[in-house]
Amino acid sequence: MDRNKIGKWLKSPGKMAQKYSLHALYFCTGCGIIEIPPTITARWDAERFGVIPVATPRQANLFLITGYVSLKTLKYIIRSYEQMPEPKFTVGFGSCPINGGMYWDSYNTIKHLDKYIPIDGWIAGCMPRPEAVFVAVTHLWTLIDKGKADGYKKYREDYELYRENQESVLGKLEWPPLFSKEKQHEASV
Amino acid sequence: MRELELYYGPQHLGMVGNFSITLGVEGDRIVKATSNPGFLHRGFEKLMEQRTWIQNFPLVCRINVVEPDHMELMYAMAVEKLAGIEVPERAQYIRSIYLELARVSSHLFGLWAYANMLGFDTVANWAMYHRDLVLDLFEELTGGRAYHIYIWPGGVRRDFPEGFKDKIVNTLHTIGSCVPDYDDTFFNNRVFEKRAKGIGKLTQKEAVEMGAVGQVLRATGMKRDIRKQEPYAAYDQVEFNVPTREDGDAYSRIWVVRDEMIESVHMIFKLLDQMPEGVAYNKVPNPFKWKIPKNEAYVRCESSRGELGLYLVSNDTDKPYRAHYRTPSFNHGLTILEKALVNESVSDVGNIMISLYITAPEIDR
Amino acid sequence: MNHLRQILKDNLLSSFEDIKINIAEENRIIIECRKESIITVLSHLKSDGFNHLSLISCVDWINENTFELVYILTAYTEDPEKGGLNLLVKTKVVRDKPTLYTVINVFSNAEPFERELHELYGIHFSGHPRLTPLLLERSYEIPPFRKDFDTRQYVEDFFKQIPTIEEKKRTNERT
Repeated sequence: MDRNKIGKWLKSPGKMAQKYSLHALYFCTGCGIIEIPPTITARWDAERFGVIPVATPRQANLFLITGYVSLKTLKYIIRSYEQMPEPKFTVGFGSCPINGGMYWDSYNTIKHLDKYIPIDGWIAGCMPRPEAVFVAVTHLWTLIDKGKADGYKKYREDYELYRENQESVLGKLEWPPLFSKEKQHEASV
Repeated sequence: MRELELYYGPQHLGMVGNFSITLGVEGDRIVKATSNPGFLHRGFEKLMEQRTWIQNFPLVCRINVVEPDHMELMYAMAVEKLAGIEVPERAQYIRSIYLELARVSSHLFGLWAYANMLGFDTVANWAMYHRDLVLDLFEELTGGRAYHIYIWPGGVRRDFPEGFKDKIVNTLHTIGSCVPDYDDTFFNNRVFEKRAKGIGKLTQKEAVEMGAVGQVLRATGMKRDIRKQEPYAAYDQVEFNVPTREDGDAYSRIWVVRDEMIESVHMIFKLLDQMPEGVAYNKVPNPFKWKIPKNEAYVRCESSRGELGLYLVSNDTDKPYRAHYRTPSFNHGLTILEKALVNESVSDVGNIMISLYITAPEIDR
Repeated sequence: MNHLRQILKDNLLSSFEDIKINIAEENRIIIECRKESIITVLSHLKSDGFNHLSLISCVDWINENTFELVYILTAYTEDPEKGGLNLLVKTKVVRDKPTLYTVINVFSNAEPFERELHELYGIHFSGHPRLTPLLLERSYEIPPFRKDFDTRQYVEDFFKQIPTIEEKKRTNERT
């Protein structure tokens, strides 16, 4: 064990606990269904990095959006994201959430996922290898250390802007807004 | 008792691919089931009309993400029929070996999904590990693990590299020597028998009426395989059996999958012995200026899920005029699933759905 | 195979008038008929042994102002001669408000095919029990698979107009 690191760990045990136990929500959208199972099974074991799949959003910490997002899936992604407790991190997989990818001229896919929910990091590739997932997880650790993985804070501050974008592409949403101005004012007072 | 509505939705630990079923439930018993596809719809066939004949190849393999190779084969065979291109004999043998390896990898993926659903995590991990060994072979041959753009109109893109034949033989021996372990742990297990026997039962008459193909039909006793009825690639030069079972429930379907895997491995060894020498591809016209006169074609093949077909129309331009894929999961997921789920218990929904071998991207395209 | 195809051709020509048969290749036979006689032709072929409806497809010939519907039939049999034949039954419909009768009474697995064609092309099948949306989330002005629906223009008009969150914050700060 590296003695230089003991000082760092003692300063922020909370951050160490957060980093090394990211529970990923099991939601294989799009093409990710072929590269997520090899990542979590025996050959490329993701559990040595602390990443295990969990069943419900209420127990999850990390949201991997693996592949393209269609209009119907976007509704369920927003609902699952809003059910996850804070602090939470999202990572976009593949080239399709970045700028549309191979389906850039399709009428049913979302081109830039960043306009609808906050994303902390991107992995390029079509599909990326399992080793790319592990590199992304180690990058996420450095971001958590420096305090820059704050997508969830941005979501809380700019919630009306995000919700405007979501409604302009999906129509009127059935569930009430997650954060409202009066409750935020009460929480800070 | 009151009827409640449950959503077996897209985010679920037992769902493979994005697909959703709305269940009407009374207690533990299902009364009505409605499937909800459409989460993966990209409008493929419209996108294919806006790209040239050669530009469509990287697009076509992404229709069924679990098994992209048969989709490429259909498009290449249809374009060859429309334009009148011949394929050399060595290329036909290479295509058959490549497709049988794809069938083995797809069946191992299905075994992972089913064993994971039932709770047999050990067997699921073994199946995924062996599938990764087969994907290593694909990576050396074509350059990609998941999407290999290898079958081209006029043959295949490149010949086997040196020493590849020995690598195939070694990998298949590694997998084949583990079959007794699989049998002891999973296929002959009494727990598997109790959970799968009698679940999701279809008689042969019902299967024929509802349009079943592939393992769902072969598990009811009918020996129908497109590789024997309308042979393509090198399948008329090699002898193989078509395994069937009698009962038509989830237990027989999984046993048919296991028998098909073993049959594929034997077929690869025979094809490797018989392979002739020669070139691996014939030249195609200049892809920047390739126009195909007005014609139409319908081709079929036997993918690992059943009968796959493509209807392709050309109109004297450099782009296809209409392409329509007939995928096997379309009828299985929308007609048969709704009838097979009635009067079953809620805990068997995943069992029936995965044993019918439904892959959601095939339904939506 | 020749014998079988010839018997089929003679059988059909003697039972129906106004029908055209063309043996295109070794295993593909094209049968063209009018839209009113589709159901009788399909039931005749089903009783002849071709009891698997593989596909119902539609081609949009915009220059001739017609839709061409194609029904593809094969046989559920273990006999390789009959099992290798594909029959394509074609009929033409007008492109403006097209209507047809459903073939669910002959082949019960035609239901999802007709639902998909209704959604993507706008063809109405009278007698169908459930013509609700199958794949799409919203309704479009022109059904999306018709030739006059331009997807690239639609992506420009609809998706690219939504601004990113940073742009929105900058415009909010300026005002």
